[in-house]
Amino acid sequence: MEAFLLGLSSGVVCLAYCAPVLVPCLMAGSGSTARTVGVVLRFLAGRLLGYLLFGLAAWGISESLLRSGYRESIIGLAYMVLAVALVLYGFLKERRPCTGSCAEVFGAPTISDRPRLSFLVPALAGLATGLNLCPPFLLAMAAAAQKGSLPYSLLFFFLFFLGTSLFLVPAPLFGLLKPFPAIRTVGRLAAGLMGVYYFISGLIMVAGGIKSL
Amino acid sequence: MKRDFQSPSNHQSFLSAFLLALPMMVLTFAMLAGPRRFSGPSQTAALIITLLFFNLLFFLMVYKGRTDRYRAVLFVTYAVAFVISFISHLIEARGSMALTEANLLRAEAPFCHIVIPMTLIPAALTKTIIFPGSILGAFASISGMFVLWIGASLSLGRGFCGWACFFGGLEDGFSRLLRRPVIKRIGAVWTYLPFAVLLVVVLTAAVALSPTYCLWLCPFKAVTEYVQVTSVKTFIQMVIFLSLFAGLVVVLPILTKRRTQCGLFCPFGAFQSFTNKVNGFDIRIDKEKCVKCGICVQKCPTFSMDDESMASGRSRITCMKCGKCVDACPKGAISYHIKGAGLAAKGDGQRLLFLYPAFLFLATMGGGSVSDAILRIIKLVTTGHIV
Repeated sequence: MEAFLLGLSSGVVCLAYCAPVLVPCLMAGSGSTARTVGVVLRFLAGRLLGYLLFGLAAWGISESLLRSGYRESIIGLAYMVLAVALVLYGFLKERRPCTGSCAEVFGAPTISDRPRLSFLVPALAGLATGLNLCPPFLLAMAAAAQKGSLPYSLLFFFLFFLGTSLFLVPAPLFGLLKPFPAIRTVGRLAAGLMGVYYFISGLIMVAGGIKSL
Repeated sequence: MKRDFQSPSNHQSFLSAFLLALPMMVLTFAMLAGPRRFSGPSQTAALIITLLFFNLLFFLMVYKGRTDRYRAVLFVTYAVAFVISFISHLIEARGSMALTEANLLRAEAPFCHIVIPMTLIPAALTKTIIFPGSILGAFASISGMFVLWIGASLSLGRGFCGWACFFGGLEDGFSRLLRRPVIKRIGAVWTYLPFAVLLVVVLTAAVALSPTYCLWLCPFKAVTEYVQVTSVKTFIQMVIFLSLFAGLVVVLPILTKRRTQCGLFCPFGAFQSFTNKVNGFDIRIDKEKCVKCGICVQKCPTFSMDDESMASGRSRITCMKCGKCVDACPKGAISYHIKGAGLAAKGDGQRLLFLYPAFLFLATMGGGSVSDAILRIIKLVTTGHIV
């Protein structure tokens, strides 16, 4: 219950951290509301995986690992993985709100020809935001680490995830914007830009981590 | 391409052009003259040169019936003068272009209109302005810029970007260096990028409660001010600023003959496009006169004319009303238009009604910078020092 309430109380903050990644993902891409729900579920699944990984970390070696110089590098590398996925998703996938000339420019084979990667992008985005060390997350980490048992730690993070995720449930509503091709294009490009942002953030963290080693 | 037809002209007689320009002379004098401007012979000379320069170009706009060629001269001069004046002020006040932590803590960063979209959500949610600037200070204050922006939005819409933005003239100038573009085609999908940048910076600014565009993406930090390089992070920021400036403000405008920062990146431009909906002026194409030659599509600096525009008779929402297409149309099919008025109105009236507020904004925003830059140059010539 403590974990769920902690998640609930910090859900708005988590939503704020996730929104810049999730909203462009939702606005981009065509499809029915059911597919939009699918995007949210994959995003949440990725996020849950990230949380459970932290639950695992909280159980054992996390304190020493996260206090060392590796912390920045690990998170930085996670950001960079997300970034590459988002950049590919944003700038390479098919997007044709226009007619005529641009169709020739973007006529080459694109990532849309590789549906597996496209399918995984929301999950990867969720995973990387799940690995985000925001203040409420650190609180949860400290609370879970206190108990020192693996099942407890994983359960704690699962309930924490449920609490924070309640705020993401209305997210499919953003899918209502999808019928407008221009908005879809803007959403996809925005996702790519967020990828660039995360890549640079990751680069800075890795550079900082290397420097402190 | 050889032009085999001539554009109809809105040429005025000398006397009527002078009479039409007279109100602008009075208005610009009223806006620019003040006790400080007459504090010495150099100041007075700078003011007189500025007023003559501005009013001569306005007179020519009216007399020749052309807009963009004279607007561009002023707009580019304004941007260059702004950079000279702004950097001189910074060095005078701080000794450097770099912002230090102390400057930020004392809220000494000058506020710029590009920050406006990022401040709105945090202001609504937290009742604070997420910018380390002065609310009511005399120089580049937050309130002053908001008042100017509201006024410009109501009177010009996105015309702000073509007539009042102090950065736009830099790339406008670079975009005119070559006679023909080297890169002729840019995918239409990229014209949506400014809206994506807007979405990202608004969301991230609301989350981080800091102006993320200024911290990470503003190309004009290269010619204004930047956070002092003290870490890997600030070094990367500096590399981004310089790269974006070189790419979007210098190289791409030269190669494409377009304003690529405004048309493909600027979030404020995207934001300002929506104000075109509440503004009384727009650019219209008379479909009966249009021969679909596509010159307007090639010339538009912000990619606001396309095949769809020619079919619908309207420019895209991103139009900044610079008048380049109006000047370039060989059939005189494109014109400034007051919403609700007919397209068939004879004469130059609708263009002139747009020019008065637009030019007055340009003169008000740019006059001080131009006058100050002239003063700095006089100082440089006479004393060898610009500050």
